[in-house]
Amino acid sequence: MLARSALRSARTTCNARSSLGRAAKRFATSSSSNATSEEASSPFRLTAAGSVATALAVGSMAWYYHLYGSSLYAMTPQEEGLHATKYPWEHEKFTKTFDHQALRRGFQVYREVCSSCHSLNRIPWRALVGSTHTVDEVKAMAEENEYDTEPNDEGEIEKRPGKLSDYIPAPYKNDEAAKAANNGALPPDLSLMVKARHGGCNYIFSLITGYPEEPPPGVEVAPGLNFNPYFPGTGIAMARVLYDGLVEYEDKTPATTSQMAKDVVEFLNWSAEPEMDQRKKMGVATIVVSTALLALSIWVKRYKWSPIKTRKIVYNPPVGGDPRSRSH
Amino acid sequence: MPGIASGLYNSIFRRNVVFLSAVFAGAFTFEIGFDQTLNRFWDWNNQGRQWKDIRHKYVESDEE
Amino acid sequence: MAPLPSRASTLLRTCPRRLLQCLNPAFATSQQRRTKADVVERSSGQYDQTARFESPFKNKNDNPTTKIPSFANYMSKKGETNNKTFQYFMVGGMGLLTAAGAKATVQDFLVNMSASADVLAQAKVEIDLAAIPEGKNVIIKWRGKPVFIRHRTADEIQEAEDTKWENLRDPQPDSDRVKKPEWLIMLGVCTHLGCVPIGESGDFGGWFCPCHGSHYDISGRARKGPAPLNLAVPEYDFPEDEKVVIG
Repeated sequence: MLARSALRSARTTCNARSSLGRAAKRFATSSSSNATSEEASSPFRLTAAGSVATALAVGSMAWYYHLYGSSLYAMTPQEEGLHATKYPWEHEKFTKTFDHQALRRGFQVYREVCSSCHSLNRIPWRALVGSTHTVDEVKAMAEENEYDTEPNDEGEIEKRPGKLSDYIPAPYKNDEAAKAANNGALPPDLSLMVKARHGGCNYIFSLITGYPEEPPPGVEVAPGLNFNPYFPGTGIAMARVLYDGLVEYEDKTPATTSQMAKDVVEFLNWSAEPEMDQRKKMGVATIVVSTALLALSIWVKRYKWSPIKTRKIVYNPPVGGDPRSRSH
Repeated sequence: MPGIASGLYNSIFRRNVVFLSAVFAGAFTFEIGFDQTLNRFWDWNNQGRQWKDIRHKYVESDEE
Repeated sequence: MAPLPSRASTLLRTCPRRLLQCLNPAFATSQQRRTKADVVERSSGQYDQTARFESPFKNKNDNPTTKIPSFANYMSKKGETNNKTFQYFMVGGMGLLTAAGAKATVQDFLVNMSASADVLAQAKVEIDLAAIPEGKNVIIKWRGKPVFIRHRTADEIQEAEDTKWENLRDPQPDSDRVKKPEWLIMLGVCTHLGCVPIGESGDFGGWFCPCHGSHYDISGRARKGPAPLNLAVPEYDFPEDEKVVIG
């Protein structure tokens, strides 16, 4: 009888509280039969269990930190190379695009200087159209290069002038040829270089402007390598290439070393991420809209909760016995 | 102000169908307007830096 | 029978208190008394009018109250319509922004599925027509398929136009198949099973498919053999006199 009514009352409690109801029922039956369960949850044991659990949690965290917490470096700071100076790149601000005039100059620097060793495999000629050059300029540049045709009727592969859909040609046929021409060192592809190197623009700028006149005393530079403090290991196969006045800019910008370095770094940043404008616009739009949405949803939450938060439930028990007992 | 509010209420909010349609139509127009505003801000913030700002230098010289 | 359920519920109600008792001995003693009183009240069928729930977290000396406070200070000074309009506006505004954001997200995913820039860049082919002499065929590759370009002679144009096209298998006048009569541009894929027909051959002076013997005339129309349709004409345009852009 007792259990039945207990069950009934447990059923009447809502779903969220059903577990509480069940626990209460169990407690009710056990407490009525014996008192051992009350001993099991005596204050001392509860305290002890809590303390042990806390000690275990803290201990395991401490142990984990002891094992994996401190970072491990493969190289000494000297071997990692000098940390690149942080420059205030205008195009890295989150509402700024590239200076496309600088991109045009940077492409000129790439084309006249870097492209003799470094490829730019991921950039097709057409990408330059509408970014740095006009269609006709790019077409003319593409046509200066020869590309393989599709096999003709005899299966021969012929040469044809480049088209807009072709990619900027690499200086070497393959990696092996590139290595052979550069004392075994492979000049890396530059298309994604800004993303691929720690420090990005700062690193590349520091690297190409950071060659000292001669290595500091006491430093031994391996044969065929050059000293550059910013390069991990400080021995770099690439020699200093940018010197004042190496390139003659068509817009009459003085071609100092740092100017050329800045332009080419900006160009390489563009080549690594031509979609930057779109990304930044999308980011701004997302931030604006989600801020507005956050404010609105906070308001709507307060609005929906206000009747619940401001209500007061008053219970006036009826006089004259339990209505439930009367109904039975 | 009460005139505007009650007018708005009676014309749009009173019927759920109208309210929902207004929300979706509004979403559509909002997106267009928002994108335009954003692009205008972008162009203003990047004056002289974009290709369309320097394009005339190279296109005209080709035509001449 | 009657008092039993009430006793059971009393028991049930006391359970949480017992749970609390083990956590807080001081609380337990204070509650013990009340529990007893409760049971007495229940069994006598009388309710204590001053009975109240005592929160275990509350200071017992607090003055309890069942008085409903006045909410008059919180009442809006603005009219009901104003408030309702504002509320609907806020809720609608949230829906609007959410809908716009959802639309943009879905759209971005769909755009992502469309052809990429490098595919689009190769989707058009530009051909210099000045290099093709009269009466010659040229086959170029466009989107991986051969495209026939024929510089037709005046006789051929005459022949193509004079053919009684109404009775052909796939009736089509020559004027529907060319933009300029001297330039016939078609996809070089046989409409039967996709072979590449051979030019300047066949019974009708046009193309002949070696695979299953379909014959096409000088306008590329299917005349004989299993081919059900005329050779397809791609989209093309003449931006300049001596130039055609296919695609």
